[in-house]
Amino acid sequence: MLAAGGSAIGISLFGCGAPEDRRRPLSLLTWDAYADPHLLALWRDATGGDIRYEIHVSDPTSVNRLRAGETGVWDFINLNNPWARKQLWPQGLIRDLPRDRFEPLYREMFDKFAPPYHWAMSEDGHHLLGVVQRFETFDFVVNTDVFSPRIARDEGWDLFNNPDLANRYGILAYEDWNVMDICMGAGIHPFSAKTEEDFAAFERTARLWVGNAKMITTDFAQLNLAIINGEIDAYFTGGTYSITSARLEGIDNLYAVSPSRGPANGKGSINWIELNSAVANPEPHPETLDFLEWITEPEPAYVIANGNGNLQPVSQMAQPEVLARFSQEQLVALQWDEFEERIANAVEYDVVPGYERLYDIYAAAVRIRG
Amino acid sequence: MKIGRRAGPLAAAPAMLLLATGFLVPVLIVFAFSLLPPRTFGWTGELTLSNYSTAFTDGYWRNLAWSCMLAALTTVLCLLLAWPAAKALHRLAGHRATAVTLAIALPIFISESVRLFGMALFLMPGGGILAGTLDAVFGISVGTILNTRIAALLGLVYIHFPFVLFPTLLGFSLLPNDQVEAARDLGASGWQVFREIELPLAAPGALTGALFCFVLSLGAYAEMSILGGQAVTVITRAIEQRFNYAQDWPLGAGLTMLVIALTAIVVFPFLRRVDIDRLIHR
Repeated sequence: MLAAGGSAIGISLFGCGAPEDRRRPLSLLTWDAYADPHLLALWRDATGGDIRYEIHVSDPTSVNRLRAGETGVWDFINLNNPWARKQLWPQGLIRDLPRDRFEPLYREMFDKFAPPYHWAMSEDGHHLLGVVQRFETFDFVVNTDVFSPRIARDEGWDLFNNPDLANRYGILAYEDWNVMDICMGAGIHPFSAKTEEDFAAFERTARLWVGNAKMITTDFAQLNLAIINGEIDAYFTGGTYSITSARLEGIDNLYAVSPSRGPANGKGSINWIELNSAVANPEPHPETLDFLEWITEPEPAYVIANGNGNLQPVSQMAQPEVLARFSQEQLVALQWDEFEERIANAVEYDVVPGYERLYDIYAAAVRIRG
Repeated sequence: MKIGRRAGPLAAAPAMLLLATGFLVPVLIVFAFSLLPPRTFGWTGELTLSNYSTAFTDGYWRNLAWSCMLAALTTVLCLLLAWPAAKALHRLAGHRATAVTLAIALPIFISESVRLFGMALFLMPGGGILAGTLDAVFGISVGTILNTRIAALLGLVYIHFPFVLFPTLLGFSLLPNDQVEAARDLGASGWQVFREIELPLAAPGALTGALFCFVLSLGAYAEMSILGGQAVTVITRAIEQRFNYAQDWPLGAGLTMLVIALTAIVVFPFLRRVDIDRLIHR
């Protein structure tokens, strides 16, 4: 990346070189998988082009960066599903994609994504806003030496309401997810409008869950190690995203649990779907659309599924050619045998109504913890 | 002659410009943000002091108090450790002192997070380096302080100790050995040597180190996160929450300004009292 940056600066200073050399790097504002060095190398081999990237701090932070004028900086943005439809497109922060070119890609994915796929379309249904790729549930992780997966699934979020688990679980501080999980634990649909009673129930649960947590960290490796060392028996938020690298090393008592029931129209799990979109850069990079199409090819899709060592399902795994690239060990690490069940038990991620107030309650619970 | 008189300001101009653009302007921007209505990003909103009132009414004092207490404790512990260590190194002066100094200084060049993760691995129960070794070699089973406030404090001392040690060592370098020997020859006790000779001469160095330590510890966060398991929430963590997931830059800016003000309250009186020129032999 340094080389790419240096090259771009050099060219702008001296104004010479072949037209290809003057091309600025394709700029990605993204979650980690698309910053995988193997993916960047594959793209370079395929096109000769360089990529620069920045990894999100959180979805809303990056949305605000585009709002603050960074559309001129980025070409590609990879965010969870609701943002494109509900924020980026209405505010003119992303471009729509040519449907004739990109809708056929959706026919190569799981049936869930059959076009027109809700989250990939504008509210009026006319504009295609991106390409879905990584998707999975993200709920909690247990030690199967302590909890059977079936019991944990059936118990669902009530597991963390149980006083017996006090000081025996951790919190992965992906805080927007923590807010959604606490909603679930408080018996509130996270993606529905909240009443005053809902806020009160959320506050009770937030104080209980945050106060009873043994540890809170932004590093899931620390939480996995704490389970391995017997410090804790479970943590939220978590899922295959946070454990596949450990499971690939044979630590298969780390287990991602998606509750089989809950308050979200009977569902207790949350399914995130990443949507890759073209930023409305006033000087669009000529290869942005090519990149968006290229990442759905089998080899890049496989690299993205393995992005930065966190194995995650991609929509292209519906294709036998892509699925065949995954070893049995990788599929076991992904808990692939129950993947369909996980997705079926999950409500799709959405913007949380009342998020600001809920987050302030959550943050206050964290502040009074110590 | 005219140029001669202007030489100082001219020479200082680049540094002043750098400080103005790299330090003063960002602080002014943060201050301006702190006067905007909560959760706004535009500059068109009416100016308000509500972020400052929220900082005092919404429980942030607790986090500020934790930050101050941990910073003060860290400073005292580092001073208690650094004083005898600096004295010993000053006496050793030579190859052995260089080796010890290097052993203390080299870790500074390693990322703070890496060192803290190393400490976490050391303290981890079960398969951790300390617990695992004691169990494997001596059959002793021990618990852990990991994910407690004590662990956070240990991390703060571990990270900030060199920042106190080296200025203290610099202070001790002002101490002529023959003066100590003369005092001893004249029958001074160890306490008298400490009080009458060592303390007045080496204290400015130690206090400078203490100042570094306090200010850096006040802004620390990784120790509480990596070793403390967020058993304590410090003000920097609360600020980070406002800027990040809360997307409330104005309140985050207000809290930041309070920390800057607190730092200034500690630093400026100190700078007035301590003769830095003397410390650096100027």
